[in-house]
Order: sequence, then structure tokens, then C-alpha cells
Amino acid sequence: MAVALVAARTLGRGLGALGVLLVLASLVFLALRLLPGDPAALILGDTASAADRAALRGKLGLDLPLWRQYLEFVWGLLRLDLGDSLARPGVPAFSEVGRALGPTAALAGTAVGMGSVLGTGAALLSVGPWLGRGREWVHRGVLLVAATPLLAFAPLVTFVLAVRLRWVPLPGDPGSGASGLLFASGLLALPLAAQVARIGRAALLDQARAKYLDVAHAKGASPWRVWVVHALPVASTPISVVVAAQLGALLGGAVVLERLFERPGLGSLMLNAYAARDIPVLEASVVAAGLLFVIAQSAAGLLQAAVDPRGRT
Amino acid sequence: MKRRRPLEFLPLALLVVCVSGIVFGVGGEPARLHLSQSWSAPSSEHWLGFGDAGVDLGLLAAHATFRALVLAAIVACFGFVTGTALGASTGLRGGAVERWTLRACDLVQSFPTFLLALAVLSAVRVPSRTHIGVVFCISAWAPFARLALAQTRTLRESQFVEAARALGSSSFRVVFRHVVPNLLGPVAVQLGTAAAGVVIGETALGFVGLGPPDGVSLGSLLEQGTLGMLRAPHVLAVGALSVLCVSGSLQLASEGLRRRINQGL
Repeated sequence: MAVALVAARTLGRGLGALGVLLVLASLVFLALRLLPGDPAALILGDTASAADRAALRGKLGLDLPLWRQYLEFVWGLLRLDLGDSLARPGVPAFSEVGRALGPTAALAGTAVGMGSVLGTGAALLSVGPWLGRGREWVHRGVLLVAATPLLAFAPLVTFVLAVRLRWVPLPGDPGSGASGLLFASGLLALPLAAQVARIGRAALLDQARAKYLDVAHAKGASPWRVWVVHALPVASTPISVVVAAQLGALLGGAVVLERLFERPGLGSLMLNAYAARDIPVLEASVVAAGLLFVIAQSAAGLLQAAVDPRGRT
Repeated sequence: MKRRRPLEFLPLALLVVCVSGIVFGVGGEPARLHLSQSWSAPSSEHWLGFGDAGVDLGLLAAHATFRALVLAAIVACFGFVTGTALGASTGLRGGAVERWTLRACDLVQSFPTFLLALAVLSAVRVPSRTHIGVVFCISAWAPFARLALAQTRTLRESQFVEAARALGSSSFRVVFRHVVPNLLGPVAVQLGTAAAGVVIGETALGFVGLGPPDGVSLGSLLEQGTLGMLRAPHVLAVGALSVLCVSGSLQLASEGLRRRINQGL
């Protein structure tokens, strides 16, 4: 019974996610074809001859009726084959995307890990007794970071740490390696950590009035045991919800940071494809970013159900 | 006792006055280049110095901030009006219509707006500020609609709505005369958040190269700053501080609005 329920919910969630993805893909498809401006003219420039344009339109399938183009597009999506890159002929669009996924996944994954740990730590510090009055300041700092857009502080922090203090490699340094990744994902983790800390603090304060904490306290448990072992697991549901909700912002932030640090990845691929009007790669990369987003959100949902049995009903 | 905290609205008011003062009072073209002055540091005549190709940073920052604020105001108002009307009317109707509205909100809110913007703008040869505004409008209504819907759910059971219906008011009249005025407060709080989101979104798009072609945007100002980080750090400071000022003052104002409304309730 319970297994069937879980299976049905997972299936429903999966179908919903696929629906979101299909809508996103269709939107890209329509945007590239219906908005004024002939893609072939955009790619070749205004000076290209009519014959060249017609040849490119034929190659991209733009001369077919729209419904046939759409069917082929969806079929291509299902087979993960949207044709070859225009900028690099002979390279399938999805293999370009596959190559870009790794760096972005590493950046976003490290950022989620760092952000969750940092944020939870800050939340615990801002409710627990360890810092005394200092916990108010932790909370204020968290609010300040949460209110500051990543876009404004990332370049400033980079300037101070990379140009002035030389602690981290300069943006665009190809040999930056692990420290470059850690620095970029640390920046990306900060806003996430601030949100996690805000919600985590509220959730922990909510638990603070609960009887079971009083019992634990009365039995002589240390503050560490009371807050981390007893209260934190209960408060982890809202935290995982925040992390899931932040994933969209994380992807956007990854695009900005990839641009700032000239790192390879899905964001750079998308922007380069945009600049070169490389339609197959652009379609494939937007769909892949959407897929990444949808998978991450579903994973957060499943994780939440696994951590908190109350969400399973 | 109502305690007013006008201080929270002060930064935004100051910013608006300063920026529109510069835009309308001082004049000058933000796009005009003084090539000989490229990347030169702030001086007594030009307080903020010059940027790439000799752009007057003071003028550029003021014009970019002004345009960002106008765009944010338009998008936030659009979202507020359409979202509130949609949320209130479908919430009053209830049933399948309400569920579909919620589903649509889910769909729109689960898309990262940035991805959506990239997808739509990629089809336009030269994305203008109008295109950018339209993209933000596509997703701006959803949070307002969700809030209005939630408020309407509690309001629709209340006696004054029932009385209005019993007296034979049309559903249009019930929605706009009785429901909407009572849910405006909690929904209005979202205005500042939405406006700040638009400013950040527009800046991000400009930063990655999808801004308006004239280059008068906070994003391209910030991009200039990061490109010239090594030789002219003042450009970076101007860009980052402008973004901080705009988004910070909007957030403070929305916080003030929230406090004021919560006290009023």
C-alpha cells in the first residue's frame, strides 16, 4: 500500500517535471521561430545571398511547416539529437552540452554543499547558547548577506581577494584549478547559506518551544545534543525546501559566475551559442539547464520525504 | 498606537530624487564618449570618473539606475494588477479554475526567470529594454496571483462577501469592490520584492551581454568594472555600489511597507 503510494507520487512528480521541461523546450522552440527576425539571416548576417540563406534554412529545417518542425524537434529531444552545432560543424549539439555539464555541476554541487553546511551552522549559532550576545550579530550578518545581490558583491570580493590580496587566482586564469572552483562556488554558496540560515533559524526557534527539547535539557543533555541531535533533524524540512527553492537562483548565479571567472560550463556555452546564433546548441543547452533544475528539485522533494516522515502521507 | 517608520522609505526617496535630478536636471548624454579620458580616475569635475572608452560614469550610473527603476516599477505594477485581479477572481470562483491558476503559478514560478529570459531574448536580434520588460512580465504576475488567491480563500467565507452576493452584486463587483480592497495590503508587500528582483534580473542579463544595445544599464556598467578591474578599480566600485544602492533601498522600502501593513492589521 505504502509502496504503491510512494511509487504513484514519484511517477506523478516525474510526469510533472517532464511537463515543465516540455513547456520550457517548446517555449525556446517557438521563441526562436515565431519572433520576428529570420534565424538564417541572424546567423549569416544581412549581407548573405538569398541562396545561402535558403540553404541554411533547409539545413535547419526552417522551410518545413511549423507543426512538422515541432514534431521533429520533440522527436530530436527524445533521441537527444537536435542536430550538429553550427559554430563547430560535425559536433552534435548534445555532446557540446555534455562537455559543459561537468564544470557547471561541479560548481553548483559544491555550492549547494557549502551553502547548506554554512547556513545550518550559522542558524545553529544564531539560536544556540554558544555565542551569548554575539548570536544577534550572526543573525544581522545573515540578513545583510541575504539582502546583498550576488551580482554586486561577487566582483567586489573577487577584486579584494584576487587583485589586492592575491589569495585566489585572477578571473580568467586557466590554471586556477581546484582553488578557482572552490572560490567561485564559495561565492555562489553565500546567498544560499544566508537563506538557509534565515529559514533554519526560524525553524529552530519554532522548535525551541517544544516540550521534547525541555525534556532533553532536563535530562542533562548538552546544548550540542539538544540543538544538533534533537532539534536540527526536525527543522531540516524547511531547510531542504529552501535549498530546492534556491536551485533556480543557483543556476542563474552559475551563469553569472562562469562569465565573471571565464569558466567553462553550461552558462558560458549558452551565452556563446547566443552570441553565435548557434540554434541547435542553444536549444540543447537551455533544455539541459531546465533538466538539471527539474532533477535537482525532484531530488530535493524525495530527500525531504526521506528525512521527514510527516511529508510522506 | 501606530508608529511610523519613514526612515525605511528615505533611501529609496533620496535615490529617486537624486537620480531623476541628474537625468532631467543636469542633462548630457550618457552614451557620449570622451575617448581621451578613458578609465581616468574620479576628479573634482567628474566625481565618479570615466570608464571604458571614456564614458562619464556619473551620468551612466544615474541614467542606468533611472531606467532600471522605471523598468522595475512598470513590471512590478503590471504583476501587481494582473496577479491580484487573477488571483482574486479565480479564488472567489474556487474549484477547478482555482486549481488551474495555482498550477499555472507553479509552472511559472518553477522556471528560473533567467533561463526564460535567455531563451526568449536569444531569438531577438537586438534585445531592447521593451523585450526585457516583456520577459519579466511573463513571470511577474505569479507570486502576486498566489498571494491574492490565498487571501481570497479566507475572505470568500467572510460575511460581507456573502452579504454582497446575497444582495445580488455581480461577481465583477464582488471581486473589485469587496474582495480586492481587503487583500491589497498583504499583496502590496510583494511589490518591493518584485521590483528588487527585476533590477537584479536586468543587471544580470546586462552583465552577461543580453542588455539593451545602448549599453546604458547597470549590468553593462558592472561588466565594464570587471573588465577593467586591474587598471581602474573605481569603475567596479561605481557599478557594484549602484546595484547595491538600488536593490538595498527597494528592499528596505518593502520591509517598511510590510511593517506598516502588519501594524495596520
